[in-house]
Amino acid sequence: MTVALDVVPDHARPWSELAAPTHPCVVDTTHATGAAFGFTNIPMAVWIDENGVLVRPAESASIERSPLRDMDVPEGLPENLTAMFRAVKEIPDDAEAYRAALLDWIDKGDESAFALSPDEVVERSQPRSSDEARAAANFELGDHLRRLHGDDAAIPFWREAHRLHPLNLTYKRQAWTLVTTAPGATENDLMQGPNEVYESNLLDDVLGHGGFGAFIVRPEL
Amino acid sequence: MILDSLTVPVSEFARNTGWEPKPEGLCRGEVCVPAPGALDGDHVNVRVAAERLGMPLVDSPEHGVYALGPATLGGRALDTAVAADPELMNYDGSRFSLSSLRGKKVVLVAWSSY
Repeated sequence: MTVALDVVPDHARPWSELAAPTHPCVVDTTHATGAAFGFTNIPMAVWIDENGVLVRPAESASIERSPLRDMDVPEGLPENLTAMFRAVKEIPDDAEAYRAALLDWIDKGDESAFALSPDEVVERSQPRSSDEARAAANFELGDHLRRLHGDDAAIPFWREAHRLHPLNLTYKRQAWTLVTTAPGATENDLMQGPNEVYESNLLDDVLGHGGFGAFIVRPEL
Repeated sequence: MILDSLTVPVSEFARNTGWEPKPEGLCRGEVCVPAPGALDGDHVNVRVAAERLGMPLVDSPEHGVYALGPATLGGRALDTAVAADPELMNYDGSRFSLSSLRGKKVVLVAWSSY
């Protein structure tokens, strides 16, 4: 199943409809799955067995190598696009191994070497400090106030969430896109550049952390 | 969990946090945390529960609401491997329960439009 971490369902809806999925395709409008499972970026996934028990904690999840990785960076792009392109090409790629592990578990269930014990699942789950838990509370409160009182009501709480959990890219990109997407746009802005509302932006933040790799939770397979 | 009061019905606390008050304490999956004072009749004293579970409490005095964050007992995102059942929504606005998929293997993949 897929879950869109989008506070506005209509932002995710067109993509979901276009995909015409045959699996449950839902929306997490409060980023509750982030708090519940430890999602800090997308795409990430957890595996759950037939008894409702996790057999793999939240990890970056991809089953197909992106063609972007094998493309040459086009010449003549604006500097920020070139930098973003290069950063994307450097994202660690575990797609082939992850796909194989997933298929193994689907076939073998508990007998799969990739199905972890409950203790292992907990131990390998994302670290969560008190600051990071407070970030989750700030994000949720900000979103609640946004719904009741408008977008500006979220800002101070979302700024605090970014400060408390700097490696949570979903909190950041969700907030940034709401201010950088032009009114009337049919898609959310993906570049999330400098803006007057939040201290940082996608490219500067990623480069400041040494690349997208800082935000990837590589599966230990 | 969004709150407008720091005393909430047990059922509401359990539904929203996954932590259920029992005689032995506050429990989730196989984990139980002693929490004397957390239960007040059929209500939960949120401040006491939050302190025992390491849950942050953030408030907006201007709007008279609080947000209770996730537990930090073991310093990990998960306290138990028993999957939570967070509030998810179908595109028609109806609630979707992850637990409705019990009996199947589930790969829950998070994505976004941004």
